[in-house]
Amino acid sequence: MFLIAQVARAQITLNLALNNRPQPWLSDWVNPVNGQMIISYMMGAALNDPSVKLKTTLLDERGSIIGVSNINSARIYTLRPGVNQFSIADALQLQNLALQGNLQNLLQRTGRLTAGQYQLMVEVMNTRGDVVRAIQTRPFFITSYQLPILMQPASGSSLDAHLAQNIIIFRWTNLIPSSQELIQYRVQVFEILPGQTAMQAFRGNRPLLDEPAIRGTTQYIWRPNLPMLDSTANKQFIWTVQTLDAEGLPIPGMDMNIQGRSEPAIFSIVNQMGTMDMKRKNEDPIKR
Amino acid sequence: MNYPTKIALFMALFLAFESNAQEKKKPISIGGDMGIWYDGYGLNKAPSSAVPDFYQARRPSNLFRYSFNPTIAVGKWNIPLNFNFSPIQTNLTTPSTSLGGKQSIWQFLTNPVNNFGIRPKIGTTEILLGTQYLKYSDLSTGDLGVFGYGVNLAPGKFRIKLFNGVSQRPVNYLAPTIIPLSDGVTGAYQRNQWMGQLGLEKEGKYFAGINFVKSIDKLSSISSAPLSPIDPQENMVVSFLTKVTTDKGWNYHVELGQSFYTRNLNTPLSSSPVEDFKPFISSHTSTNKDNAVMLGIAKKGKDWEAGAKFNYYGAGYYTAGYPFMNNDRMEYLANTRFNAWKKKMNVVASIGQRFGNLSRISGPSLTKQIIANVNVFTQFTDRFSMNTSFNNFGFNVPGFFGYKSVSNELSVNPAYAWINSEMSHLISGTYTWSKYDETTLNVMTNNNTQTALILYVPTFFNKKISPDFSLMWFRNTAPSITLNLLSATSGVTWEPAPKINLKAQLQYNLSTMAPFTANKHLLATSGFDWDIYKKLTWQFSMTVNLYRFGTELPGSLFTPAYSGSPGYSESTLRTGLQYKF
Repeated sequence: MFLIAQVARAQITLNLALNNRPQPWLSDWVNPVNGQMIISYMMGAALNDPSVKLKTTLLDERGSIIGVSNINSARIYTLRPGVNQFSIADALQLQNLALQGNLQNLLQRTGRLTAGQYQLMVEVMNTRGDVVRAIQTRPFFITSYQLPILMQPASGSSLDAHLAQNIIIFRWTNLIPSSQELIQYRVQVFEILPGQTAMQAFRGNRPLLDEPAIRGTTQYIWRPNLPMLDSTANKQFIWTVQTLDAEGLPIPGMDMNIQGRSEPAIFSIVNQMGTMDMKRKNEDPIKR
Repeated sequence: MNYPTKIALFMALFLAFESNAQEKKKPISIGGDMGIWYDGYGLNKAPSSAVPDFYQARRPSNLFRYSFNPTIAVGKWNIPLNFNFSPIQTNLTTPSTSLGGKQSIWQFLTNPVNNFGIRPKIGTTEILLGTQYLKYSDLSTGDLGVFGYGVNLAPGKFRIKLFNGVSQRPVNYLAPTIIPLSDGVTGAYQRNQWMGQLGLEKEGKYFAGINFVKSIDKLSSISSAPLSPIDPQENMVVSFLTKVTTDKGWNYHVELGQSFYTRNLNTPLSSSPVEDFKPFISSHTSTNKDNAVMLGIAKKGKDWEAGAKFNYYGAGYYTAGYPFMNNDRMEYLANTRFNAWKKKMNVVASIGQRFGNLSRISGPSLTKQIIANVNVFTQFTDRFSMNTSFNNFGFNVPGFFGYKSVSNELSVNPAYAWINSEMSHLISGTYTWSKYDETTLNVMTNNNTQTALILYVPTFFNKKISPDFSLMWFRNTAPSITLNLLSATSGVTWEPAPKINLKAQLQYNLSTMAPFTANKHLLATSGFDWDIYKKLTWQFSMTVNLYRFGTELPGSLFTPAYSGSPGYSESTLRTGLQYKF
């Protein structure tokens, strides 16, 4: 019996080439960037059934099981002699994977796992699910980024025209978690033209400012050199920060856009000539 | 059937139905305005072929914008039109349609920069055609313009709103090329959006209703699909909203929302991990479902106002109506506004805290943010007033890869005015102190900023000229960087004739980044507002920027080396004609 099992195993070899930092959305694991699974099948003399099922087990960093696929509802694959290529999504079997407790709830809510170290174990089984024909385990690390939050000028704030036409300071929070690679922040400011909504200007206008901040800093001092005392122009702006990785590609955040752009903020320019105007002076600078 | 056909059919059916409701024809009246605006921009650089390119053009060379916003009243019909459009594409955060900037009529109509909206209304029935910016609620939809058709009905206390349209125009993907050098076009799927609201309302008293918003990317809308990660998406939000205002000045606001979001419609259909929401959503492996809550309470008194709000957005809560919404957070905010000291003092204050990474998918720790702000304005005498404000922002992520930033800003702004028989004088000063400390990977950096501004405004009672003068000083010190700026500005407005107002402003500043010599900058702007006829106004403004770099950007760095000081001159012309009906 032991000999038969060895012969049977010898017919199938499993190679799980998993990126050790795969994309955080598990449904994205179909993308080649996350790696691939290769099952090599050599016709053997003793047992040459080409039909197999996969059993997937997800373990945490301590090796405790946190999720197992249902072998009964697993898809049956018929292997071709030689090399059979699969995506990592095939190895993960997301539609057939049951996670434990809070992780299943988190997966339903976000499509992701909590940040941390995990292990993916894949077993190639016979169709009855009682004989393991090949097995491999690979570790991986999951993390998702939260894009910077714009701090200053705060959304809804009003800036004095005399100051703002010389200097506007933009500040934002760091990318979370801090990245070990050199990331780049680009500050983008759009003028809201008369008759436009803020989001319309953001989606349709060319930015007045589209400049990188000094690497490693979360502040940009803009010298606008724009006339802001006149009532006809430069009265309202919408700004954002775009976060780019070392290759200049947007870092995906938590929003729907995959542009690496933080939730934008609006600020207005007011001419403080009417300094004695009590009502104007007491506009709420932070409206959220 | 495409959208223009649907809109025309919808309009025809509705007019046929409503024609019976019209009474005798009444005279036609028209209000509103129309206009044309032109922005011209020019940039000259010295040296002109500098490498690297040290300054980029920041506006398009020519930009025409047209507006046509009349409100036509015919009998019982009231028909506001909102046409604001430009034939030139200037999109950045949404893709332009092609390398040459050409767009089809459909892409022109659905370009987010353009509005083509009509909202005919009769009685309690309002028809919505073309581009509409519809805000149903904070958790459903409100940010985006949608081009399509719909209706608002308000029979009695019932409120029924329906709309169907396109919130994102289709753009074909174009690959980058080397010859000719091109970044290509990112591409986008057409996003169709359905929206509905069903509620009960008594104006000024209460509203209670349910909002539905569904959006789906149309795969067949483009012939060349964008590359991943721009995948076709689907989203649906259902929210319950209620708002109550009592006679005693209390306001209550509650909204509960649930969203279904499929990140990629190309992933396999699967009822796991999220079950289908039939008949609206067939789940894929990339579908998730989450909730959001907004609560608010406020009380308004005679000389005061106070409120508190609480918001929660689950990490998987998405709505196509607010595509940049920041989720995975919980926050509370308390704010107040009151008068004191015989109404001579006005105070506005708020304090709040925001917690992020509730799901822990970005690390083991919560992010914590504090926002505190207070603004006090005091009118000590008729002549002397003072405004003081203090802002504090703090952000903290504990842990080895943590991050911390604290920003404190104090601003004092006294103003003194005096008057004689011929003129009044106003002197206003502003001093701002700002400190910004940041700790990343256990390395702390400090930013200190000081700003001082003094402003003098004389007003002549018997002259039609009004000048103002200001001086400003700014200093920012940060690790390895010290920036100083000195600026002098003078402006003047002059009314040479009753219908014309001339304006001019001159500003000169020196900015120095130690240890380099100063950059010099001159800004000159002039223009006028002229009521040419009773209903026709012409606005004109011309601005010139002359900028010369100091040793911060030496010409010797360029290839080939430039012997002079690099600089640029920038001219902006903005003019518009506006006609009021």
